[in-house]
Amino acid sequence: MHTPLVGFKAFSATFKVMFIEEFRENLDFAKRRRILLFPLLVALVTMVATIGLQFLVGEGAAQGADSLSDSKNFSWDELRIGLHIPLLLFSLGMGSFAFLGREKVLARTGTKNYVLASPALQPLTNSTAHFTYYMKDLSYYVMLILTPVISGMAIGIILESFTNVSTPLEFSSLPRTWIAMVVTLAQGLAFSFIASSLWLLGGWFSRLTPLFVIGLGTALGLGIVPRQYLLWGLTTQQPNGILIAIPAICASIFLAWAASKLVRDDFEVKVISKREILIPAWNRLKFLGNGSLRLLVAKEAVDLIRSGSLKKMIVSYSVPLIVLLLMAWLVDFAEAPIPINLLSYAPFLGFFGFNFYSWLTALDSPEYMNGLPLSVPQLIRAKVTVYFLATTWISVIFLCLMAWKLDEWAVLPVGLVVMMANSIYIVCLTAFLMGLAPNKAIFDAKIMAWFWLGTVIPLLSLFLLSFTQGDVSFYENWAGQVSEKGLDAEAAVYDEGRVAAGFKGILWVSAGLVVAAIVLMKLLDRKWGRAEFNN
Amino acid sequence: MPDPDESLVIAKDLGKRYGDFIALHPLDVNVSSGEFFGVFGPNGAGKSTFIKLLTGQLRPSIGSVEVLGINAARDPQKLKANIGIVPESESPPSYLTPSEFLQFVGKLRGIDDLDNKVEHWMNWFGLEEKRDTMCKDLSKGQRQKVMLASAFIHEPRLLFLDEPFANLDPIYQRKCRQWLLDMVAKGGTIFLCSHVLEMAERMCNRMAIINNGKVLAAGTVKGLKNSESETLEDVFIRLVGHSIGEAERLGDEGVNEEE
Repeated sequence: MHTPLVGFKAFSATFKVMFIEEFRENLDFAKRRRILLFPLLVALVTMVATIGLQFLVGEGAAQGADSLSDSKNFSWDELRIGLHIPLLLFSLGMGSFAFLGREKVLARTGTKNYVLASPALQPLTNSTAHFTYYMKDLSYYVMLILTPVISGMAIGIILESFTNVSTPLEFSSLPRTWIAMVVTLAQGLAFSFIASSLWLLGGWFSRLTPLFVIGLGTALGLGIVPRQYLLWGLTTQQPNGILIAIPAICASIFLAWAASKLVRDDFEVKVISKREILIPAWNRLKFLGNGSLRLLVAKEAVDLIRSGSLKKMIVSYSVPLIVLLLMAWLVDFAEAPIPINLLSYAPFLGFFGFNFYSWLTALDSPEYMNGLPLSVPQLIRAKVTVYFLATTWISVIFLCLMAWKLDEWAVLPVGLVVMMANSIYIVCLTAFLMGLAPNKAIFDAKIMAWFWLGTVIPLLSLFLLSFTQGDVSFYENWAGQVSEKGLDAEAAVYDEGRVAAGFKGILWVSAGLVVAAIVLMKLLDRKWGRAEFNN
Repeated sequence: MPDPDESLVIAKDLGKRYGDFIALHPLDVNVSSGEFFGVFGPNGAGKSTFIKLLTGQLRPSIGSVEVLGINAARDPQKLKANIGIVPESESPPSYLTPSEFLQFVGKLRGIDDLDNKVEHWMNWFGLEEKRDTMCKDLSKGQRQKVMLASAFIHEPRLLFLDEPFANLDPIYQRKCRQWLLDMVAKGGTIFLCSHVLEMAERMCNRMAIINNGKVLAAGTVKGLKNSESETLEDVFIRLVGHSIGEAERLGDEGVNEEE
């Protein structure tokens, strides 16, 4: 009798093939050169950011008279938060391994199969396979993202010796930063993993898990749960906090292990009769005309509903928005070095479209479409349309909530324009650059370089321009001023010229983004017209 | 030599229910050591679900399964370590090469002399030149060979095969058939599902015909025939045709299970 491998031996045998599989899958989409360039690109961007740090923290004031005064700079604490919160959000977005494993098991008789689905046939438990997947992803991201980030910081510091540039970062802080980032990554992946495992248990777990996550986030935001208890990486990076890394990493791995134990050896593929919904969906989409777009959007909507992904996707789309809402709740503008307002948040609401579009492309294998009279650009346009239909209402609700929380109702219409323009543009850019496989494209250096340029420039422009609006009570007292002073109405405190110019700038950039989105959709045929259906 | 009194597969009153719908029930099967047992039925009869229940891939809703003395529902890992499974439509992991996949499945079972065994089966199936090709880039037939090799590599006493030759060319069909017959001759046991009746005539000692999740008839190939002149196809149509006609008369609600 053969005895199946268990424990570390099973983990080790599985880890190796999973790591190879991950690398090959990324390599399959991009060329080897581009995959190898990805860490270099990350390092380069971090190096530039490292050099730019002096202007953010104010210690480079000596370099030029234009530097901001220290009172208008970020503190190191704020910068650390700026490093760890996005990393945590990224890892939360990537760590729902229980959902992923279930999808792989269900799709194992399709055109592609993965090691994560092996427990169905091989003497390996689902729990071991999932825990190994967590460790593989953690190692992969540490290698491909975190280590290049630290290397970029190191290069930035080294440049100080050879050039006139200066950075306030010190070599001695790099190992601590690397460890702290590993802690945040491990924690985010583990939290997301256990949330997805609990959700899949069904019943009350499915209902209570999202409520618990939102409750935890709110408790954290309101300070009921101290920050250091939940943001372990941030705590690790505090002075004398390095030793926290050991229990934090152990706790993350333990959580991931516990999450893996909740994943059942369930390989059932239930085929249940469903009532016809394609034609009813098609009937409701009259506004899309009578062409292939309407039919494809109806088909995508059916996929979204039948796969049970709609609920999961709305939850995962809403979680970062809730975090933004909490930030809006918590930021004390009087203390903030820059005048953040509703228009500063609006561009970011659109940015989360990337995640949703990625999910949409992973719902089903489109390979069967190779034999149909359809083209890849047609399917991409349908997915972009579904994205708008499925998410716009969520973003609108969140922006309204933010307007209420910040008491900035007057600027809401402009905020909606900015949010919509960004949302349209970011999804069109993602679709144009990455086609039907955004999950693989994230490790392609060339694509990511374009994506970075294409998103950072407009986002940063809108973010900076939003500061010209400062306290938007300017808009709110406008009606009062008009009623009192008629045509002589004015805002007493603000430089109206600057506000007006900034306002025009915001609208011009937003209009530019909408035009760019239309151009990108038009260019889809040139870029993807001859591509095969494959994700 | 096989002990014909040793039952390797015992399914008692086995069934699978999805909600209120009973997909399979009742299935009673007893396969002894050294048998080449075939399960035949039309598309959607429940053959693949039956194999999945016997191999621990699915938990039965009703009844019990014991394979190699192991409770399939309670200890599926131990069972999978000691049997070989070739599913109907599953491929090896897309981004591994054939030899990497064979190494992986061999290691999970703690097989000795693994490198040589991988080498042997790669050569046996003519996959030497595909050593560095990822499975997703292999043809359907080549992927099927990899799946067969992964089921053979640990030389199990018992093999479960679901339409094993569907994508193989005639040369490898013959080669595999012969290997399986040799395996049975040496004491191995095979449980095969198919709708190709020719395989029953050429290979099986005993067979069962199932439809709508029920065993319609079971016995030796010869025993199922009413007369010398009756072909197996006649038997199949007599049993399954009657079963389909009966289901239609009863206003069948439709097949609600996979396959």
